[in-house]
Amino acid sequence: MELEAFKVALDDWLGEHEGELAPTYGGSGTLDEQMDHLNKVKRLTFDAGFMRMGWPERVGGLGGSSLLRAYLGEALTARDLVEPGIYSMPEVLAPTMIDYAPEALAAAMVPRLLRGDEVWCQGFSEPDAGSNLGSLMCRATQTDDGWRVKGQKVWTSLAQYAHRCVLLTRTGTPESAHHGITALFVDMDSPGITVRPIETMHGAQEFCEVFFDDVMVPLDRLLGEVDGGWSIAMDLLPYERSTALWHRAAYLQRRLQQLISAVPPGALHPSAVGEVTELLWAFRARSRSTQRRLAAGDKLGPETSVDKVLVATAEQAVFDLVAEGLGADLAGADDAVSRRWRSEFLYSRAATIYGGSAEIQRNIIARRLLELGGDR
Amino acid sequence: MEGAELELFERGIRRATDSGSGAALDAALAGLGWRDALAEDRRRAVSVLFECQGAANVTSSALSQLLLVGLGLGPGDRPTTVLLPLLRTRDAPGRLQDDRCVVRGLATSDLDRSETVLVVAGTDHGHTAVALPPSELSRRAVGGIDPGLGMLELDGDVAAHGAEPGGPVDWTTAVSLGHLALGHELVGAARAMLGLARAHALERIQFGQPIATFQAVRHRLADSLVAIEAAAALLAAAWDEPSPVSASIAKSSAGRGARTAARHCQQVLAGIGFTTEHPFHRYYRRTMVLDQVLGAGTVLTAELGAEVLRSGTLPPVLPL
Repeated sequence: MELEAFKVALDDWLGEHEGELAPTYGGSGTLDEQMDHLNKVKRLTFDAGFMRMGWPERVGGLGGSSLLRAYLGEALTARDLVEPGIYSMPEVLAPTMIDYAPEALAAAMVPRLLRGDEVWCQGFSEPDAGSNLGSLMCRATQTDDGWRVKGQKVWTSLAQYAHRCVLLTRTGTPESAHHGITALFVDMDSPGITVRPIETMHGAQEFCEVFFDDVMVPLDRLLGEVDGGWSIAMDLLPYERSTALWHRAAYLQRRLQQLISAVPPGALHPSAVGEVTELLWAFRARSRSTQRRLAAGDKLGPETSVDKVLVATAEQAVFDLVAEGLGADLAGADDAVSRRWRSEFLYSRAATIYGGSAEIQRNIIARRLLELGGDR
Repeated sequence: MEGAELELFERGIRRATDSGSGAALDAALAGLGWRDALAEDRRRAVSVLFECQGAANVTSSALSQLLLVGLGLGPGDRPTTVLLPLLRTRDAPGRLQDDRCVVRGLATSDLDRSETVLVVAGTDHGHTAVALPPSELSRRAVGGIDPGLGMLELDGDVAAHGAEPGGPVDWTTAVSLGHLALGHELVGAARAMLGLARAHALERIQFGQPIATFQAVRHRLADSLVAIEAAAALLAAAWDEPSPVSASIAKSSAGRGARTAARHCQQVLAGIGFTTEHPFHRYYRRTMVLDQVLGAGTVLTAELGAEVLRSGTLPPVLPL
């Protein structure tokens, strides 16, 4: 199906089913409520066929361009039917499975993720491996019975809900850096896994610590090659900066519009409103060309770091404007609407931290796009 | 234009902007058939020429020709300068009242090669264009921050009936095309500044190594590139989805991108970039003026914000 036809069909369907798809809770809801609701929306859109568009048939999709996925997320987010952060995770996890998992495993598992039957998480960061991901230490040892995994992950989003985990482990020597990393697909109900949610300042328990205490992972749950995990991580990161960011732009646009509608006259300076609008439009213009390149089959690379810097800048600019226009509510009101503004304002502070910090993105831009050579 | 044809066009334009300015560049552009390109593929003709013009820090009469096209009057056969508004504003430079036309605006350096000054004048109903011989208006050379531009401030109060008042013209469309051209010129100049700073960072040795190895320097250059790419993306989007708002956003963002790049690049260039022995200052001066032409970036941004607040609605979004 072509994009224009898809837009019409989806918009019609969303119009008819909006009541069924809308959250039943007010404000942000709790994370439990958000997850239940997300899985319901995914199931309904999957069963109606929309969620299957843009994914290959061999993993339960219906084929077609990745632009269809970009538009589905945009449409759901613009109508406030999903929270884009948790909605967009399959945009990173599913392509990894499609590209690197054994065919039968991908065919069996990916539809469960897309339909919302399962939640997956991404076990990358560790207490001592944040921006320097290549220093990760969670050890996997190959035995006759499978991979024995021992170590710890942190900042693992939604691990407490997850059925599976795409896990990066150390299989080489401690000095092997990015050469000795292997990716595994781990069942989160395996004996030896302990999940401890972390309460963040925006009031959710979205991130977790995950402990692996001699967890056994079957040998056929290897993703890609042994010691080839780094290239999986590198291939996956541009996905994190393409379709998912387009969804995020739709969210920021909705919130900016809601802010404009909510503020009392005179509360915002025209120059500030104009500048934030321009920053958000700039991101959208940039991301649009990225969506086109992805759909055309181009391999996305370090240039997506520009997209990431722009979206983080736009997100913080939008919520700085929220603080300017609704600062008193943000600081002192406890109604559901204000609590939501507050939570999302606080979450926006992390936009330059998660998914590769602002500094790491600039390092990539300097080294790979400006070709400034190595740094000190 | 695309593929090999576009590449050939780009190479020709770049050679022209690298080797001449003013009358020489106009002659080279005539030889390359730039006006035909403008008629056939306006987007490529404008984006390629103005980016190269910005990158080479040169001038031509191309903006006048483009504005004539936008007004629906050209490009004519007689060399014509389209009078620009004074800096900061985008209001038409003339005002038609009764039988008089009051004129105050800026002419670019192609005025001395023009037979006619075309003055767009506001009326009670819209805009019209009045063609005047340059001698009808008094002139004052504008030195300003970038004397190399050779701009002139023209003013006069002339009898309109002797001045061939034409039918209605579309000033809004002309301004939008001008915004795109100036946006590309700003992007070209900003990329040139980044190129100079990058080269310096790789050559300049301190503490035994190129300063490009220091993260503080690298991040300034990275931020410059991000600001430039944001403007370039908005320009591309404004060509894809043309509207006065999309062109205005692209122009003001190109001004912001140039300001950002100038700030970071000058800091990286440090002492040498503060001298007239290094070419940086020419680009800096040029972008300061371009940012003010056809509506200063900050003015366009404030107008956008005021309209959003007045209507309670964000401008239309770029569709996927």
